[in-house]
Amino acid sequence: MSLDATDILPRAPAASAPAAPKPRRAVRASSFGYRFLRSRTALAGSIGLALVAGAALFAGQIFPGDPLDMVARPFIWPFTSAEYPLGTDMLGRDILVGLVYAARVSLAVGLAAAGLAVALGVVFGALSGYFGGWVDQVLTRITEVFQTMPPLVFVVVVVAILTPSVSSIVLGIAVTSWPQVARLVRAEALRLRDAEFVQAARVMGMGHFRIILTHILPNAISPVVVAGSILVASAILTEAALSFLGLGDPNLISWGSMIGSGREVLRTAWYMTALPGLAISLTVMALNLLGNGLNDVLNPRVSLT
Amino acid sequence: MTSPFETLALSRRTLLVGAGASLLLPAAARRAGAAPATGGTLVAVLDPEPAGLVAGLTISAPAVAVSANIFDGLVEYDEGFKLKPSLATSWETSADGTVITFRLRNDVTWHDGTPFTSADVAYSLLEVTKKVHPRGNAVFANLTAVDTPDPHTAVLRFSRPSPVVWAAFNGTETQILPKHLYEGTNPLTNPLNGKPIGTGAFVFKEWVKGERIVLERNPNYWDKGRPYLDRVVFRIIRDPASRAAALETGEAQYIPLNPVPLSDVARIKASKDLVVETRGFEGPAPMYFFDFNLRREPFGDIRVRQAFAHALNRKALAETVFYGLAKPAEGPVPSYQTQFFATDLPQYDYNIAKAEALLDAAGLKKGSDGVRLRIDHIPSAYGEDYRRAGEYFKQALKRIGVDVTLRNYDLPTYIKVVFTEYDFDTHSAWYSAYPDPQIGVQRRYWSQAIKKGTPSSNASGIADPEIDAVIERIQTEGNVEKRNADIRELQRLAQVKLPSVNLLELTFYRAYSAKLSGIDLAPFGGYQSLKTVWVGA
Repeated sequence: MSLDATDILPRAPAASAPAAPKPRRAVRASSFGYRFLRSRTALAGSIGLALVAGAALFAGQIFPGDPLDMVARPFIWPFTSAEYPLGTDMLGRDILVGLVYAARVSLAVGLAAAGLAVALGVVFGALSGYFGGWVDQVLTRITEVFQTMPPLVFVVVVVAILTPSVSSIVLGIAVTSWPQVARLVRAEALRLRDAEFVQAARVMGMGHFRIILTHILPNAISPVVVAGSILVASAILTEAALSFLGLGDPNLISWGSMIGSGREVLRTAWYMTALPGLAISLTVMALNLLGNGLNDVLNPRVSLT
Repeated sequence: MTSPFETLALSRRTLLVGAGASLLLPAAARRAGAAPATGGTLVAVLDPEPAGLVAGLTISAPAVAVSANIFDGLVEYDEGFKLKPSLATSWETSADGTVITFRLRNDVTWHDGTPFTSADVAYSLLEVTKKVHPRGNAVFANLTAVDTPDPHTAVLRFSRPSPVVWAAFNGTETQILPKHLYEGTNPLTNPLNGKPIGTGAFVFKEWVKGERIVLERNPNYWDKGRPYLDRVVFRIIRDPASRAAALETGEAQYIPLNPVPLSDVARIKASKDLVVETRGFEGPAPMYFFDFNLRREPFGDIRVRQAFAHALNRKALAETVFYGLAKPAEGPVPSYQTQFFATDLPQYDYNIAKAEALLDAAGLKKGSDGVRLRIDHIPSAYGEDYRRAGEYFKQALKRIGVDVTLRNYDLPTYIKVVFTEYDFDTHSAWYSAYPDPQIGVQRRYWSQAIKKGTPSSNASGIADPEIDAVIERIQTEGNVEKRNADIRELQRLAQVKLPSVNLLELTFYRAYSAKLSGIDLAPFGGYQSLKTVWVGA
């Protein structure tokens, strides 16, 4: 590749402010890890999340076998049997094994849905914010159409039409949650498109899409990262709500489906609802802590002492 | 009242299995000797909300449970399954069994004041029951004409003797509708189906969709003194746990169908203020089964079907999924219908090794992942219990190397996918067997019952000449003994040819406040009118 205009352009900073004095810039460039470790919320959140992710990844090694197997007498209460520490459900399935395997589905749904929503939101937001004018008008109207529908009802409709399965649930959640990312990115793009380094790039003849990719998005990424981690949490909650309503994938075990099936016996065996409920709250809390922590870490104006 | 059916009815007395067990009557029934108190409002709970309120047209259980209060049939059944008068006071059958004459009450008026006459009977049987009732056409296939020599006599003429009709004249199955309001309309779309006018003990008042159906006492009811209640409110509560709560708080007093989560039954039973009653469903006789879609491979191979039958542990299913409120079925006819039930039917014991050997023999060898066959399964959409049973099937079949994908649907989609599109490998559901196999059982096995779009019809697609021949003999045989022999033969063929695995005799039950008296315990009691019920102290 021959000499390119951008190669001599000071690279628009992914983690630097354009007009910052030099010494500060040097500190900040190396400071993400430092700041992250100093943020208690980010650290607590990521440790919690790592535990859940570890359980999900190594479920097969920790508990070989099928989590849906009916292994024991039904209705064993937690902490009453050494073999089944968290008890069994109404069909005699081991709740501990179920919780560990359910982490897989819940996390996978959360990550996939958030990933898809972020991808959609970034594309829509960047295009409409950067180009403005009629592109912005059209794309914003489309975003608003999706935003005006009550999200849970919309997901229920999508899943009911496509028949309940993991992919339809992921699609349903993503389709309803991308507008918030789109609006975030649009606002950032609007702010950045007239920034001096973007104007410079334009003057040098750089194409629109290249500007978006190399200048706009890297600078808009921190709010997206924060929003993304919150999205994962809300996707896990939405999946739980869907399973609770009987719209989960019946072939897989998720925390939501465990709550959904435990709901009927709430009066006699509340632990079947409470345990997966606890797992959801802890995971969602970890994700929210991580999101808040990242917000602090990525925002240079917040001091982390 | 001295006709051949009388002996038939007598032989059916045994149907009430509860007879022996009923010595321990609940408190409410023991008080039945006391004079009924009049007045008051009864709050009953219903789920799901019915599509219409005329049981002669909408046969879903909740529709029937409301409708039986508004309409009457020609006869009713008592606890011994003997006939007793309703709109008809007496009846006789001709010697050759082809003519039945009903004498009707002359003091009955419709809720709009018009007198009830034999013309209503003729219209209802010929135009409604025979033409649009989902089961009516099969039951009344031989009915050719209804003569009305005077306003209070109806003469039914059949081309052949049809003993089965005596199991269908009650008001929960064959209702008499007002001719003056239905004639000339399409009965299925008549707006009166949502605000019905009948002859029954209660008058329709209002239906707030999604919330409640209100009925009020019919002051001109022909059964003088009845009903005792001033008002009946059917509330629609979808969540079973909330239904249990409504009953326990006293907000509702009577739940006829699927009252509480099965796991709560023991708790409700233990309560002094509440009664759980399992009698009253011997008429509907719910039978639970596992269907194969015979249009698809490998289910054409009898060995595969036998393997499935050996892999399903019916006892475990009854004990865990249905909390003991079911018992393993030995065939398509419930064992408590002793006059029909065949005792020596071929059975498929729970035997994993045998099941695997059968699949091996059928050429379905296990792959490297332990899976020899991948299929889907659609459980009935009528409640969580059936979905949980689906989870049980998935695990049970996994043990023989069959990988099952469950497909859950809401009710309308379920009916479309299973009974219109036939888009399934296997399917599980319950059908009512009814007091006569010709009404409830033959529709699972008769090739003529493969009716696209008709719920609870022949979904497996079985079309077997031998089975068809037996079914058609049952429909036309006038001799009770010969007919019963054919019914036993049908059960044997059903077990041998195995188009579907007969799993369980389900036990339905009602739950109600111990303050209620006069609850109808007859075989259709669960669906029956509340005209006999009163609220005690």
